Amino acid sequence: MNYVIIGGSAAGVTAAETIRKNDKKAVITLISDETFPLYSRCLLTYLIAGSIDESKLCFRDKDFYKENNIKTYLGKKAVSIDRKKKSVSLEGGTKVPYDKLLIATGATPKTENIPGVNKKRVFTIRRIDDARAIIKILDNVNKAAVLGGGLIGLRDAYALRQKNKEVTVVVKSQQVLSQMVDADAARIIATLLEKNGIKIMTGAAAKEILGKDTAEGILTDGGKRLDCQLVIIGKGVNPNTQLASAAAIKVEEGIVVDEFLKTSDKDIFAAGDVAQTYDVARDAKRINALWPSAVEQGQIAGLNMLGKNVSYEGSLSMNSVDFFGLASISMGVTKPKEEGYEIISRIRKNEYKKIVLKENRIVGMVLVGDVGSAGVISILIRNKIDVSSIKGKLLDERFDYAKIMPLVKKFKDKFRQEEYQDTIMTF
Amino acid sequence: MKTKTKDIKIYCDITRCVGCKSCEIACAIEHSKSKNIFAAVKETPLPKRRVETQNIGSKIISLHCQHCEDAPCVKACMSGALSKDEKTRATIHDKEKCVGCWMCVMVCPFGAIIRDAESHIAVKCDLCPDRDDPSTGSGLRYACVAACPTDALFAGTKEEFEKNLSKKKGNSKH
Repeated sequence: MNYVIIGGSAAGVTAAETIRKNDKKAVITLISDETFPLYSRCLLTYLIAGSIDESKLCFRDKDFYKENNIKTYLGKKAVSIDRKKKSVSLEGGTKVPYDKLLIATGATPKTENIPGVNKKRVFTIRRIDDARAIIKILDNVNKAAVLGGGLIGLRDAYALRQKNKEVTVVVKSQQVLSQMVDADAARIIATLLEKNGIKIMTGAAAKEILGKDTAEGILTDGGKRLDCQLVIIGKGVNPNTQLASAAAIKVEEGIVVDEFLKTSDKDIFAAGDVAQTYDVARDAKRINALWPSAVEQGQIAGLNMLGKNVSYEGSLSMNSVDFFGLASISMGVTKPKEEGYEIISRIRKNEYKKIVLKENRIVGMVLVGDVGSAGVISILIRNKIDVSSIKGKLLDERFDYAKIMPLVKKFKDKFRQEEYQDTIMTF
Repeated sequence: MKTKTKDIKIYCDITRCVGCKSCEIACAIEHSKSKNIFAAVKETPLPKRRVETQNIGSKIISLHCQHCEDAPCVKACMSGALSKDEKTRATIHDKEKCVGCWMCVMVCPFGAIIRDAESHIAVKCDLCPDRDDPSTGSGLRYACVAACPTDALFAGTKEEFEKNLSKKKGNSKH
């Protein structure tokens, strides 16, 4: 069998690895438009911050492709898929035939539709080249503006602040992290960021990026001018669906896949930031552009390309950040807009906890400060467990695994993995 | 030597655990520089335990990383710090690669990965690598198991654990 994978990040690499583990003879080819192999995008802000160097960027051994006998086309962009002839065309004309194909083309950062975005020193951070270009000019930057107060924007700002730059974050909403947490939790995080020298300008947007060829500042919609030598747009991502749509594979928000991560073409699969999968907390199809989801999906897609018929339980939106030693984790539905949700929350100094329930099942949570129970809560969300019996304990400091052992015992069919059963043998 | 393989792991007999925290102390000492309780309390950073006694009502469990076969933490780790050892099937953590993003903390259903705020990296059960030498300690492979005064902790296969349970009950018929 001839397996071809487009994309060399979390989903693509995991799929290749999974196929190789299960089939020593398979012919595996991986195509990536980047030349630096096996690096983790999520580490790029750590690279900019100077907390790691390039040697620590890789999430697999340098020899991974060689050791696993995976043929690679690196620095080559896949430009089209011919589904009739079952082949992928690369830039420069090379044709790569496939029996089973995985599209793991990821996503591209959203940009701003304002004058000046094409000036020098205006960046998004997604690829190693972006990070290298920023690092190169960093010595000549005193002030930086970050457009976007979501997770990406704040991570970018945090990295720059660690390099002692004067950073201003321009946030459209009235609070930071508006998609992720509510105002109370946002205030705790914003206060800490400001205390550590990151300026936050809420309720404002950049109207124009100023400067001749090179960015020298931004003009906000309120008419305020902010001088800076670097502008970073940190506003989320759009899935790279072009290759799939051009081949008439069904695309909605992302590439549409079934529970086996198969697209509308039976020999083509999709995984990672480009795939629109089932979201367990929302009970709906959604793109969860996250590292853990991409790895899970890469694994499942790989197994199904091998014909193993493994269904994907679904993804769960989740994120973890740590700014100046304050950890925050959010998961699932954190700000329900419709009726029918129950919310329990608690706020203390530098600590915030919120659990969102629907019909006695947890569908979301936010933890700021004390994040120790995040993992235990995550499994209750994933397994859709009725938590009526322990509702009063959910916000406790000591809400740990032992507290859910009665539920593990009661819902044995939902905690099937041996590891759970091992813990309750004598319970 | 009950060294971790695919089939050998550490079990806790909840009926015998009294929550004395001997496992926690032994674990912290084992992961100290001096490996001596009195010197360890003066170390900076303070040595961290990777096992925790947790209770539900009057029942207590000594819980640590279950070294899951299909480990959520490994899949969530964006830096490549967490991986599965091909031979022992242990879940191993490379301190050098960890950046303290807490993605593992976010997904571990057992809450067995601890956030070390001091060193800003994740800390978890590493199956006592320094005790690998058979001549160390009392001959019991793991510090927590060796320290357990009530024999609640047990290292071995599931069958051995089950056999041991029935023996302890004085019921050889099972």
